[in-house]
Amino acid sequence: MRISRRGLLRSGAAGIAGTAFLPGLLRAQSNDDTLRLGVAANGPRTIDPNQTTQGADNWATEQMFEQLVRPPDGLFAATDEEYVPTLATSWETSDDGLTWVFQLREGVQFHKGYGEMTSEDVVHSFQRAMNDGVNTAVFTNIASIEATGPYEVTFNLKGPDPLFLGSTAFQNGASIVSKKAEEEKGDAFGTDSIGTGPYQLAEFDSSSGATLTRHEDYWGEAAKIGTIEVVYISDTTARTLALVSGELDIIEAVRAPGWIDQVKQRDSSLLVDMTNPGSFMTLHMNLTAAPFDNPLVRKAIATAIDSGQVANALAPMGRPSVTLSPPHYPTGWEAEELPEELRYEYDPDRARELLAEAGHPDGIEFTANISQREDYRSTMLIVQELMRSAGINMNLNVMDHSAYHGANREDQNTLALHAASYPPVPLDYMSRYLSSAAEVKADGTGGGNYSHYGVAIPGVDDKLLEMQLAKTFEEYVSIGRDIELQVQEDLPVLGVMTLGFTAVRSPRIDLGYEVDGGYARWRFHKATKS
Amino acid sequence: MARYLFVRLLDSIPTIFLVLSLVFLAMRILPGDPAIAVLGENARPETIAIFREKFGLNESLWVQYITFLRDMITFDFGTSLMSNTPVTTLIAENIPYTIELTIAAMIIGISGGIPLGVWAAVNRNKAPDNGFRLFSLVGYAVPDFYLGAILLIVFALNLGWFPITGAGDGFLDRLHHIVLPALTLAMLKIAFLGRLSRTSLLEVMGRDYVRTARAKGAREPRVIYRHGLRNALLPLSTGLGLSVLTTLSGSVAVELVFNRPGVGRLLIDAITERDYPVIQGGVIVFASIVVLVNLMMEVVYVLVDPRIRVK
Repeated sequence: MRISRRGLLRSGAAGIAGTAFLPGLLRAQSNDDTLRLGVAANGPRTIDPNQTTQGADNWATEQMFEQLVRPPDGLFAATDEEYVPTLATSWETSDDGLTWVFQLREGVQFHKGYGEMTSEDVVHSFQRAMNDGVNTAVFTNIASIEATGPYEVTFNLKGPDPLFLGSTAFQNGASIVSKKAEEEKGDAFGTDSIGTGPYQLAEFDSSSGATLTRHEDYWGEAAKIGTIEVVYISDTTARTLALVSGELDIIEAVRAPGWIDQVKQRDSSLLVDMTNPGSFMTLHMNLTAAPFDNPLVRKAIATAIDSGQVANALAPMGRPSVTLSPPHYPTGWEAEELPEELRYEYDPDRARELLAEAGHPDGIEFTANISQREDYRSTMLIVQELMRSAGINMNLNVMDHSAYHGANREDQNTLALHAASYPPVPLDYMSRYLSSAAEVKADGTGGGNYSHYGVAIPGVDDKLLEMQLAKTFEEYVSIGRDIELQVQEDLPVLGVMTLGFTAVRSPRIDLGYEVDGGYARWRFHKATKS
Repeated sequence: MARYLFVRLLDSIPTIFLVLSLVFLAMRILPGDPAIAVLGENARPETIAIFREKFGLNESLWVQYITFLRDMITFDFGTSLMSNTPVTTLIAENIPYTIELTIAAMIIGISGGIPLGVWAAVNRNKAPDNGFRLFSLVGYAVPDFYLGAILLIVFALNLGWFPITGAGDGFLDRLHHIVLPALTLAMLKIAFLGRLSRTSLLEVMGRDYVRTARAKGAREPRVIYRHGLRNALLPLSTGLGLSVLTTLSGSVAVELVFNRPGVGRLLIDAITERDYPVIQGGVIVFASIVVLVNLMMEVVYVLVDPRIRVK
């Protein structure tokens, strides 16, 4: 066949033009039985809930796996009583709080014909979480776990834990997986996992995402939408345009000032779902570095930062915070409950007076590292501006996100901003931020206690141990609230605000419930698409 | 010829080795801990310690370097720290997308750039020539990521003609998905190849053999295409090689903007996540492509210019 130059040019032009008419053809292929979710990450790493370290991966695992208990949809459970029976139907605790016996739901089927869930699967799931998970530390209080019947599991704890359901049973690593499937698949289980949830994995593509389909043998009410596609798009513009164009149904939001307003200007019908509290945005003052070793300087900084203004700048995602724990968490304090001298109400003049008392009549100047990620950078820029008006000049060294956290872990920061989401299990985050065992170390082997609290100012370890040994929830909360007061007094850490995890949703999608709290992902088993 | 190519191929080994060593060092000198990047900033110290032990990150730099060289020599690129997937699998999954994007962009670039350059040369200092020069200036000046975003907003979001993200499934869908990314990458090619064709053609059009052809009464299209363009091909063949390489480097930004899979995006993601094995694997791929393209261009040079063959 002879191809003429003109012919080639003509067919090339026609081909390119022709592709413009494909949308109608291709769009017709997409149907209302698919929910497409755009998550803010480069690509999926694993679908094994025991190995996930990237928040975005948890959107898929949330649909595929279940634990013995779960909080109500769209919420965190603040007490054990609020948990909903899921793969367990009931549970009992011994008087000394050291033994927990769970009765399992009968007839629960694993995905893809892997059979019925029994106590063997539950024991296996917890053992792998305790021995080989990415978060083994949360399971260290378990002394042993036994299958005491085909549908009964007994946990023996090293110490009592009045929040066992939240601290341990509802962890990601505590998701129940099929023992048979894991043994059969070996390493491939990471990309071909088998759970009991309302959706099962249909496809895992390490560059684009995961596709889930309805689990037809699900023990509960079957999911209404047949297919969930989790699409990974790290570029915020591409993700936003994909939502506005209708290519995606839901996207993870960008936690930056004004972003929600901009998206709503594009399409005012879009809906916003948000968790409260989301991330705790905390400022950690390095107690071993001048001038932060001076309590008056720390009080000046606390007085120079208006939590309300910081939160407003990131509204509606931002909410003011007064203590380490948010007010509605078990150990949290409302501002008006606190003694007046520990409220640190915004007052730049008072901050200047405190600095003068501390021997810095002309103010102070220091350099702090900060991540370039939107939520970190925006928050710190507002803090910088607020402090400037009180004579506190903070020079910012902006770094990439990975380098920033690497430097923090090597004790290379002065005033470190940290964003992290925690369930209402205060001992967990208090231990991470305050205990001497978690003290940051210059060689990078330390933990997330960037302030050196418990070492530079000792005393908190004893209180944390008391909290750990508390037998009742009331005792646990009471000790925790005392720790919060002590932290307000010593100021190693300052709660700046909380920043809700946010997703923007097409009005065509009805989740079937309101999102108000919980981790940075939610289930779609009740969702419908119109 | 084969011996010549083999020697050139051997010559490129030290280049690749040097590039790899530089990348190895640069990634370890840069701040940022892969363990924290993988496990998250809230990871507990004991979990981080296990991770570092598992992947040999707590070994001395020399031990890591020697292990790295041994692995490279045995073509063991390792597994991704992030996804635990073999690097070869990740590259094999992603490289077809980069190749198809490069080919599509080159096709558009060549079929747009060379005719436009010829048209401008033939109409020297007239409106088409001035228009083309302005166009090529814009083509050079507008960065890929910006042009990509503009094309996305106009043709995908506002007009709805093209999809916004992904690479598609099946031939038609993939063709549909590749148009905007390929156009974005092709813009610079059109400008570059167009200018090169224009300049080369103008140069040869003043030569004696062109004058002779005209004097013999050859029609102008024949003079341009048979006598002019054919002789202007030599500098163009060099330009094409450079174009392939700039298309590859440009694909990094375009794959990000259009959320397309590809080796460029894989590499950028790996850098932000400090995924050392993937970075090293990606760099080997890019370095090897550069070496291969250069070799291919030398072959093309020999084929296009018989004088080189004679030498």
